[in-house]
Amino acid sequence: MKIFLPILALFTFALSDLIQAQDVSQLTAQCAANAGDVMYLKDFVVKLDQGTPGGAPPTARFALLLSKNVVYRFSICSAPSSDGEAVLQLFDMNTLLGSTFISATGKDFPFFDFKCQKTGVYHVFISFKEGKAGEGVGIMSYVKKL
Amino acid sequence: MLNKINPWIMPKVIVYLLIILAVAAGSCKSGGQGKDAGSEIPDSVLNEGIEISEDVMQDIVQNISSPVEMAAMIKDLGVPYSNRYISPTDRVGNLTTSYQQALNLGIYAADLGYLNMYNKTSAVIDYLTSIKTLSDAIKVGQFFDFTTLKRLATNSKNLDSLMYISVHSFNEMDKYLHSNNRTNLSALMVTGVWIEGLYLGTQVYKVTPSQQLAERIGEQKLTLDQLMLILENYKKDKQYAKLLDELQLLKELFKSVNIRIEKGEPEMIEENGMLTIVQHDKSIVEISPEQLSSIIATTEQVRNRLISL
Repeated sequence: MKIFLPILALFTFALSDLIQAQDVSQLTAQCAANAGDVMYLKDFVVKLDQGTPGGAPPTARFALLLSKNVVYRFSICSAPSSDGEAVLQLFDMNTLLGSTFISATGKDFPFFDFKCQKTGVYHVFISFKEGKAGEGVGIMSYVKKL
Repeated sequence: MLNKINPWIMPKVIVYLLIILAVAAGSCKSGGQGKDAGSEIPDSVLNEGIEISEDVMQDIVQNISSPVEMAAMIKDLGVPYSNRYISPTDRVGNLTTSYQQALNLGIYAADLGYLNMYNKTSAVIDYLTSIKTLSDAIKVGQFFDFTTLKRLATNSKNLDSLMYISVHSFNEMDKYLHSNNRTNLSALMVTGVWIEGLYLGTQVYKVTPSQQLAERIGEQKLTLDQLMLILENYKKDKQYAKLLDELQLLKELFKSVNIRIEKGEPEMIEENGMLTIVQHDKSIVEISPEQLSSIIATTEQVRNRLISL
C-alpha cells in the first residue's frame, strides 16, 4: 500500500498533465476555427499568474516577423477555466497598433485584422483584464494578400 | 476507499502502473535531449559558445519563417502550381544525421505547405510520409499526427483541417525543440523552411515576375539577418559553419538591397462589428533586376546543394 500511493500520485500527476495538454490543444483548434475563413499560421499559448495589487498586469510577449502587403488576423480566446479574460495587443516597437479590447469604449473583439504595410519585427502582448490569473491562446492567421 | 479494493487485483494494478510509468519514462527520455543515436551534432554545440541567451533566441526565432506564407502569396498572385518547385522525396533514406534530418524536415514542411495550398492531395501523402520519417528520426514525431493527416489528405474537402494540423504540428515540434534545449535543431528546421520558401519565390519570379514578389524576395534580407544571428551560435560545428558559408553567399547579395521606411500613423476602422487596423508606415524595397537575377541564381545553387547533402 505504501508503494501504491506515491505511484498513484505520480500517475495522477502525469494524467493531469496529459489532460491539460489536450485542453490546450482543443482550445487552440477551437480558437483557430473561430477566426473564420482564414489560414492558421501561429498560436501563442499563455498561462499567467495573478498580478500584484497596483502593479502592471503580468504579460506574455512574442516576437513576430510580419510581411508587407499581407492582411493578418489576430484572435484571442480565454480557456473556459480561466479567471481572467485574455486581451491580445499588437505592437510595433513602442507603438500600440491594435488590441482585442478597446479600453476607451470598453468594447471587446474576438479578433482584429491588421493590414501590414511594413515588413519587420512586431510584438504580440497577451495579458488578462485587471491583472487576473488566466489561461488563453492567441492565434495569428493569414487572411489575404493586399 | 482503498481498503475496498479486491486484494487479488491490487498487485496487478501495481504492475500495470509500473509498466505505464516505465513506458512513460522511456518515452520522455527518448524525446528529450539530442543524444540520439543518429545525432552527429556534438553536445558542445548545444550549450557552449552561446552568445545570446536561450530566451532571447526564442524571441528571435518566433515566426521567422512560416511553411505556408510564401506559398499563400504565390497562390494569391494567381500563379499556377508546378511540381518543379518542390524537393523530391526519394532521398529521405539517405538523410542519416540529425543535421540533415532537421534541415530537410523544414524543406519538406515548406513543400507540404505549397502542395496543401494548391490542394494536391495525391502528392501530399509522399511528403507526409517523408516528414513523419524525419520527425521520428529527430524524436519529434509524437507531434505529427500522421494517421489523421493521411486520412484528411485523401479527401480534398478537408483542406482547412489538413492545413491547420500540418502547420500546427510543425509549430508544436518547434516549440518542443525549444523547450528541450534543442534550439540547434529548431534553427535548422526554420532554415530549411526559409530556403525552400525563398527558392519557391525566386523560381516563380523567373516564370511570372511581379513587383510584389520582387519586394517579397528583397525583404528576405531581414529574415536572413535573423536566421544567421541564430546559426552563428552553433558555428563551432563544421556543418553549421558550412551552412553559414552558404547563407553568407546570399547575405553578400542582399547587402545592396535597400529597404527604406515611410512613416505614417496607424488607422483603426470598425465596420460591421469587425475591427481592422490599417498601417500607414510603409516599407519600400529597392531591388534592381540585376540584384534579383543574382539572388535567384545563388538561391538555386545554395538550395540545390543543401538538398543534395
